Amino acid sequence: MRAGRGAYPWTTGVAGTLLVSVLAGCSPGGQEEAVTVGLITKQEENPYWVEMREVAQETADDLDVELLTATGTSDTDVASQEAALDDMVEQGVDGILLAPTDAAALEGAIARAQEAGVRVIAVDTPTDPPELVQATFATDNERAGELIGRYAAAKVEELGLDPQVATLDLTPGVSTGEQRRAGFLSGFGAEEGDEAVVASVDTEGDRDNAAVAMTQVLTDHPDVNVVYTVNEPAALGALAALQDAGADLDEIVLVSVDGGCAAMREGVRPGLIDATAMQYPQNMAREGVRAIARAVREGQEPTGYLDTGTLLVSDAPVEGVESRRVEFGVRTCWGS
Amino acid sequence: MATVQSQTDQREAPLVARHLRVPFALLILCFAAWGMAANLTDILVGVFRGIFDMSNFQSSLVQFAYYGAYFLLAIPAALINSRFGFKTGVLVGLGLAAVGGFLFIPAGEMLAYNMFLLALFVLAAGLSILETSANPFVIAMGDEASATQRLNLAQSFNPVGANLGVLMGAVLILPNLTPEESKTIMSEGELLAAQEADLFQVLRPYVFIASVLVLIWLLIAFRKMHLPTEPEAVDLTEGGGGTFARLWANRHYRFGVVAQFFNVAAQTCTWTFTILYAQDVVGLSQEAAGWWLQASLLIFLVSRFVMTWLLGIFRPAKLLLIMALFGAACCLTSMFVLNIVGLVAVVMISAGLSLMFPTIYGMALQGLGPDAKFGSAGLVMAILGGALIPMVQAAVMDVSSSALGYAVPGVCLLVVAAYAVFDLRTDRPGPGAPVTHEAGAQS
Repeated sequence: MRAGRGAYPWTTGVAGTLLVSVLAGCSPGGQEEAVTVGLITKQEENPYWVEMREVAQETADDLDVELLTATGTSDTDVASQEAALDDMVEQGVDGILLAPTDAAALEGAIARAQEAGVRVIAVDTPTDPPELVQATFATDNERAGELIGRYAAAKVEELGLDPQVATLDLTPGVSTGEQRRAGFLSGFGAEEGDEAVVASVDTEGDRDNAAVAMTQVLTDHPDVNVVYTVNEPAALGALAALQDAGADLDEIVLVSVDGGCAAMREGVRPGLIDATAMQYPQNMAREGVRAIARAVREGQEPTGYLDTGTLLVSDAPVEGVESRRVEFGVRTCWGS
Repeated sequence: MATVQSQTDQREAPLVARHLRVPFALLILCFAAWGMAANLTDILVGVFRGIFDMSNFQSSLVQFAYYGAYFLLAIPAALINSRFGFKTGVLVGLGLAAVGGFLFIPAGEMLAYNMFLLALFVLAAGLSILETSANPFVIAMGDEASATQRLNLAQSFNPVGANLGVLMGAVLILPNLTPEESKTIMSEGELLAAQEADLFQVLRPYVFIASVLVLIWLLIAFRKMHLPTEPEAVDLTEGGGGTFARLWANRHYRFGVVAQFFNVAAQTCTWTFTILYAQDVVGLSQEAAGWWLQASLLIFLVSRFVMTWLLGIFRPAKLLLIMALFGAACCLTSMFVLNIVGLVAVVMISAGLSLMFPTIYGMALQGLGPDAKFGSAGLVMAILGGALIPMVQAAVMDVSSSALGYAVPGVCLLVVAAYAVFDLRTDRPGPGAPVTHEAGAQS
């Protein structure tokens, strides 16, 4: 009569123990020391800075760190950053991630923060001199330029072109742009003043400025077949001008630096921009928050320079130059 | 008088024999378990691609191992049931599947992709045996008149498990993986540590499933069961040469098996690469991509109810043709509209897929008479499409792009559409009495 009514307390006990042991792996750890991190970006018009803030927030949430954020109104808004630095020190942050608009003008505020025992890490843009801050987490801009320079040289060879190079640069005196340009020339196998470089125009990295500049370059040098752009907005501006002029894009090599999602989808994926060297604001933010949390909780102070990575992405790879597929670029690009 | 008494008995007969309610509930968990494992595996293709930095083709071996095991174990499972009974079949299946789940632990420690493939193979082998045994077991757990209802009730937990599987992946695995851009600046040691941490996230849900299977195994193993309906012995010789020859000569059946192969292929391809499409083409995070796969499964579930209603209005072959063409159009959209619209198209393929397995099953078996039992095995074994064709899509993705890879399920769906056209054009009465669809992990 007891058939079908087996009693099995011990069996449930054994399996229950197994289940509990698996789930125990999911339980949260103990209370960690409180950490507050400040992030000061240049502006929020550019998705680059939005991405940096979002990743900083995600990382802070993961590490149970409080994040305070502030931003300026433009790439040259020093006053807002200075006020934000002082304000964050007042609020007792343990460390600040700062993307300095003008390191010289911010030197006083940075010094006040350090005197108050607050760590300052420069992100994206190094200070001059770098020793103004404890550490710098930024793209190796020269390396980024070199990658696209090497690509452009190999592509020129593949297409059998006689190179006529135009460079659409940033602004004189801004290290980021100067390093990228120097890297490009080095990777391309050219030097400053090389006769292959037929035109160089400052665009401030602005799309409209670049379009105007490219139109002028095409008027002055219609045989231009290699275009270096300091960033992707400039590349998209140059592209618009080339298309308006009816240029044969199959015979023109257009390269850039950045890794933004818009240019990746509209420019690199359809092969309009031949290659771009990606930079990763995500890594600057993630590593920055981690570094300050580690300093407070484990006593490992951040120092020196951390290269936050740069990789070449192209829809048309060339032999002898390592590059990643566009799908990788779309997955790891910044912005929406 | 006797007739009245008999009808009363039938009306009052419970869905499940009273003393078998607990085992029935446990078997329901089994139905959920294989749905869970199958769809959790869909997530693994993209996850392993990232963790081991592999090509799409290499990572698609996950599906080859999983569905290949399902295919290979179908006949051995029938032999086990025939020789030792359904309870033994269920226990062997549960045990093997649990071993497969626990094999994720050494695989994680060895950081070896091949070991994960082995673990998946063993897990799927167990689930294949479990599925083959559990269906007739459920049928035998009560009155014969309510067998179909009982089976339908149990099978309805399969999509529940499937959705839970994706949910587990979306909640437990995908958000906790190391971001790809973060790896670009890691040293070799840091990469190894990240790989270990990511693999731990992967093995956790599998070890959880294995633990649940052990629990069910213990609860079934130590319970005596007397089945009210003696299950029919499976005579594997009954489908002898004569049956095979008759089936092979029947074009509706033969083409039906081909259509089912490509239907399962289209389904596996679509779900396997949804996450990769969302990441590679639209640029979504792994976590967000997981929710799009979840949406696919929910649309599949809801559409199946809608299709059941529509099948009462339209001839099945006509509806099959419409939905296959709809699915192919979605594939075409996803190939060339490289934004969120393309992703929506990928998700909407599931609406087209929702009616295919049972509809092809019914169309192919219609009018086969006693050959239907043997014939159904051929249709279930069409699951091989899920093992082979995702590798083709992955190879296309590797040489072209993730978006153009959707040409592969598109072609598969056109084959299904061709079968529907064939059925509509050949002079055969429309499907009459529905054929009970009793098995199929892809159902």
